[in-house]
Amino acid sequence: MLIGYGNTLRGDDALGVMAIERLRPLLPDAEFVSVHQLTPELAQQLTNCDLAVFIDATYEDEPGKVQVERLPAIGDAASLTHHVNPAALLELARSLYGRAPEAMLVTGTGAGFETHEGLSEKGNEALQEICRLVPLLVRDFPAMW
Amino acid sequence: MPTITIDPVTRIEGHAKITVQIDEQGEVQGARFHVTQVRGFEKLCEGRPFTEMPALMARICGICPTSHLLASSKACDDIMAVRIPETAEKLRRIMNLAQIIQSHALSFFYLSSPDFLLGMDADPEERNIMGVVRKYPQMARDGIKLRQFGQRVLETLGGRRIHPGWIVPGGVSHPLQADHRDQILAEIPEAIRITREALRWFKGQIENFRAEVRSFANFPSMFLAMANDTNEFSAYNGWLRFVDSNLNIVADHITGTDYLNYIGESCNDDSYLKSTYFKPLGLEDGMYRVGPLARLNMCQSAGTAQADEELAEFRELERHSVLSSFYYHYARLIEILFSIERMDALLHDPEILGKNVRAHASPNNYEGVGFLEAPRGTLIHHYRIDDNGLIESANMVIATGHNNLAINHGVLQVARQFVKGNTLQQGMLNRVEAVVRAFDPCLSCSTHAAGAMPLDIQLIDADGTMIDRLMR
Repeated sequence: MLIGYGNTLRGDDALGVMAIERLRPLLPDAEFVSVHQLTPELAQQLTNCDLAVFIDATYEDEPGKVQVERLPAIGDAASLTHHVNPAALLELARSLYGRAPEAMLVTGTGAGFETHEGLSEKGNEALQEICRLVPLLVRDFPAMW
Repeated sequence: MPTITIDPVTRIEGHAKITVQIDEQGEVQGARFHVTQVRGFEKLCEGRPFTEMPALMARICGICPTSHLLASSKACDDIMAVRIPETAEKLRRIMNLAQIIQSHALSFFYLSSPDFLLGMDADPEERNIMGVVRKYPQMARDGIKLRQFGQRVLETLGGRRIHPGWIVPGGVSHPLQADHRDQILAEIPEAIRITREALRWFKGQIENFRAEVRSFANFPSMFLAMANDTNEFSAYNGWLRFVDSNLNIVADHITGTDYLNYIGESCNDDSYLKSTYFKPLGLEDGMYRVGPLARLNMCQSAGTAQADEELAEFRELERHSVLSSFYYHYARLIEILFSIERMDALLHDPEILGKNVRAHASPNNYEGVGFLEAPRGTLIHHYRIDDNGLIESANMVIATGHNNLAINHGVLQVARQFVKGNTLQQGMLNRVEAVVRAFDPCLSCSTHAAGAMPLDIQLIDADGTMIDRLMR
């Protein structure tokens, strides 16, 4: 399952959502979820897949850079309200439904998050790299874990 | 005067803080609820074509975009002077009911249930949704499933669960398909089971919260909600009605721009949230409440079988109107039940699959007003356009604004009951937050929530010395 999330009206915050649209034709067997933000309701859906790839934008690194992080087996869901992070969602799936998939978080660093549509040049670079990288990660997933 | 600041208030929709002023004897002298974010939607839509307003207004909020979409579309219908097709009206009503279900489920299960299930005095490390998950997993699963149901209806009809674009001036953009109707109908029995179970559980808990019932914004006030000829629960069609605390009608049949004669808005120096008041009585005496408590107090019947049974029991709480804002939670559950039942009835209506779902017209009025009962209360959109159909001015009166005076009054009441100076305890501060939570204020936050919210409360004495501090 690939889950892209972000606000398409906040510049590079749209990275995750745009990545989902581009990845859809490249991974015909995957399930795709494109949302404004993560919500607890996704926890149940997560229990039906073996691998979850969360795709998000960040501002905490060099613009254009892409990072992949394997998400820990035990997350922190203490702050769960209507704003949820991937680790909290996985923890919720484990606690409520007994299982959660292996998961990774792919983040692309954006350069601008002001109120407008469309990516910056660096945001576009990150998007290209995400779309190159994610199919490889999904393909190699059984060997990696 | 020493001041306790709770900043931010947690488990509400948005960014806000509370300040409590105490005197040298440690007694509470004043308390205020401050909203610390500004959105400015009324200003930024000026100059836009009125037909863009529904889609634009839906962006105000990620929690209740459908309510804004509907109120905005109704205002645009008014500008076009059209009567929308009956099927379209029924479909819009289903959307509104789904919005009420998902929003109330969020408020009850996600935001407020940690207080009910784990106790107001529980360790904040435990008093959160994961605490609920650990101790009451079935309740947590039910809460998720119920909200999921509401969101799935929004998604099925509107094409997406947040910011659906299906509702348009003149009706809706396309008809409902039979397979989509059947998908929704198949989920209704389980949604009703969950709601009834939550109601059964909550009613059993009320006795444990007597102090909160007594002090959570429990005072006489007027109420405002939509009304209609049948005096049944009305969330989409009708006019505005004010009643006093004994449910005597004080103003009725308020439609169109007439609301300006009855509803005044006051700006505050310390908050971006306006205070709305009943104009004939002025700001000092014009406090009223909206939302589930107001609606259930004001309707004579819900209009559906199971919700009417629950409403009868709800009415037995107090002799006349139910005045404690703690019962907003209870009222929310009854409204969920009503919404599911009404949705079921509408989906069984043969007309619901009708193909005529949109009326087309150019502007025929320079002004348009749309009313609606949003989950948190009465929502008003009012637009003025120029000769080219561009917005000259927009006024949105939102539920949390209607409730602002009552929230402030409630914060003071609960602070006086629970906050005793010199030593701060988490439980007492949580109650100050929890009275705000009872109103479920929505401060249009969804695009910038910060996740793990810090809380830093300082108690400063008359000399400016910090004598106690709580952080989480």
